[in-house]
Amino acid sequence: MAYPYLHESETRVLSEGFGSPEARTVAGWRALGGYQGIARALEIGREATIEEVKASGLRGRGGAGFPTGLKWSFMPKEARRPHYLLCNADESEPGTFKDREIIRWTPHQLIEGCLVGSYAIGASHCYIYLRGEFFESTQVLARALEEAYGEGLVGSDVMGSGVEIDITLHVGAGAYICGEETGLMSSLEGRRGEPRIKPPFPAAVGAFGMPSTINNVETLAATPHILRHGGEWYRQWGTEKSPGTKLFCVSGHVRRPGNYELPLGFPMMELIEDVCGGLSGGRALKAVIPGGSSVPIMSAEECMECDLCYEGVEAAGSMLGCASVIVMDETTDIVKQVRRMAYFYAHESCGQCTPCREGTAWATRILQRIEDGRGTEDDLETLVEISEQMTGTTICVLSDSLAMPIISSIEKFRDDYLALIRTGERLGAA
Amino acid sequence: MSEARFRNPGWAGNTGDFELTEAEVRGSEYVGRRSPDGGHPSVAPSLPYMLVAKNPEAPLLEGPYRERLGKIRSRYPTARAALIPLLNMAQEIRGHISPATMNEVAGILGLSEAFVRGVATFYTMYNKRPVGRFLVQVCTNISCNLAGADEVLAAFLEHTGTELGETSADGDFTVAEAECLAACGFPTCVQINSRYFEDVSPEDVPALLARLRREVDEGY
Repeated sequence: MAYPYLHESETRVLSEGFGSPEARTVAGWRALGGYQGIARALEIGREATIEEVKASGLRGRGGAGFPTGLKWSFMPKEARRPHYLLCNADESEPGTFKDREIIRWTPHQLIEGCLVGSYAIGASHCYIYLRGEFFESTQVLARALEEAYGEGLVGSDVMGSGVEIDITLHVGAGAYICGEETGLMSSLEGRRGEPRIKPPFPAAVGAFGMPSTINNVETLAATPHILRHGGEWYRQWGTEKSPGTKLFCVSGHVRRPGNYELPLGFPMMELIEDVCGGLSGGRALKAVIPGGSSVPIMSAEECMECDLCYEGVEAAGSMLGCASVIVMDETTDIVKQVRRMAYFYAHESCGQCTPCREGTAWATRILQRIEDGRGTEDDLETLVEISEQMTGTTICVLSDSLAMPIISSIEKFRDDYLALIRTGERLGAA
Repeated sequence: MSEARFRNPGWAGNTGDFELTEAEVRGSEYVGRRSPDGGHPSVAPSLPYMLVAKNPEAPLLEGPYRERLGKIRSRYPTARAALIPLLNMAQEIRGHISPATMNEVAGILGLSEAFVRGVATFYTMYNKRPVGRFLVQVCTNISCNLAGADEVLAAFLEHTGTELGETSADGDFTVAEAECLAACGFPTCVQINSRYFEDVSPEDVPALLARLRREVDEGY
């Protein structure tokens, strides 16, 4: 079978080169229409490039869903000081594995996206911040970047236009918080990856104190296609508020986990039942986390009518995030999984803000106690209270990210907690 | 569709249901061998820092490594920004970052020792003490956990005869738990030195360890 597994519902824009080793080279990427997007941007100019991306309605794929064209337009019109584009390739959100796929199969797609983004915001230097664990994908990207420099696609004279854009690969050293945009800037500058208070926003005071824009890998990878075909073309997929295609990272208890590129607004149950072949072993659905571990858990009933677009998942009581759909069947021990998430956030808290540093650790200990059968019913109220105090009280949203799964799981799967507390029985655990 | 677990392309002999070789999945032919001097300056901060050969006594800035640091420094507006790339390079050469290495790095970049200590201890990938030839990091975060990552971790501990976070008696393997490695569709994901091994099940572990031991003999 050819990789990736292709379902008839899939639309291949970003994923066209996946599974094809040839697509890694400049020649292979050009054969797929590569480097035509940046060529058109250079032809129509910086303002028009931003307008084209605005017209496409592209929203940031890193989780927040902020409109990309609008974000670019916040940068100063004239580059009196150096401007920087920072590409966030620190993919660490549990459940998310799309950026690595873009980097390892289509490195030039990302390089071209970085050129388009840099040109649009007037940046002459772009840093791609890769997570340290991505050793292999980073080497593929490094070879591709050397190739691109050799062909004059990147550097002091991009494609003979006289425009200067340098790209540097910067590799991190293992810290989830460096995926937060201001934490990423701190880390790039050689500091601990501690987030900073906003304002000032990066477009005013960013990396090295200069105006900066941070975009996710998938966001930047989409821009060459938009430039090449036009913003309207991109709107043929998706909904009015969530245009375009998106890589859905499906993991957990489905027969065919993996990355699937689908139009935004695709029904969740069709993704699970049809595209991913249903639940493994034909078991029943218990819960879904639709956007990476930092969003509220959805019960099976909430999934039934849910469409996977920003507004659709919000209406169903959760968030699309980076579209990392974690599927859990009836055998799932929800308390154990929430405890594992809490452990993760406690491990990754940078420690600057008290509600997060103490709250994540405290919540982990309480959840562990419940899981070990030593919990009380009061513990649930304590967990909710801690979580409420962890929401909106810190510099970044790491502590909110744990509060959401805790509060939502206690609300929707209270019986799982109560069974453990009252009888020591793990509901669902096989 | 059969009930057998669907396997995505991971590693050799285990490229799942797909017609791809391990080299094609990893892109190893395209990448080739990268030179320790860092290659083009744009990619100089991206080199590996988890090799089988580790020498805690080795000098930091000899030959190609000095050249690489020069290239790294040319890519950033401040000296401080070279800190993480330089710590990465130090770990690549020495295998871990000791307090003495932190101080040496501080001296090279003109930063205070306390500042470098603060940064080096913030990031989890810096080994604060020596590790085995192979650092085996098993993801046990949610997606891998749902697929049975706890059993995979237990299998690694059993077959290497070591405790979590410790190194086996022969010095070959250090086994640790990792947070999400961004390979959630290919569970369980295990990072061994610089490589990912995906779709690993407990039954795969003995063969995988044997393969790694062979690679040491072959001078990988």
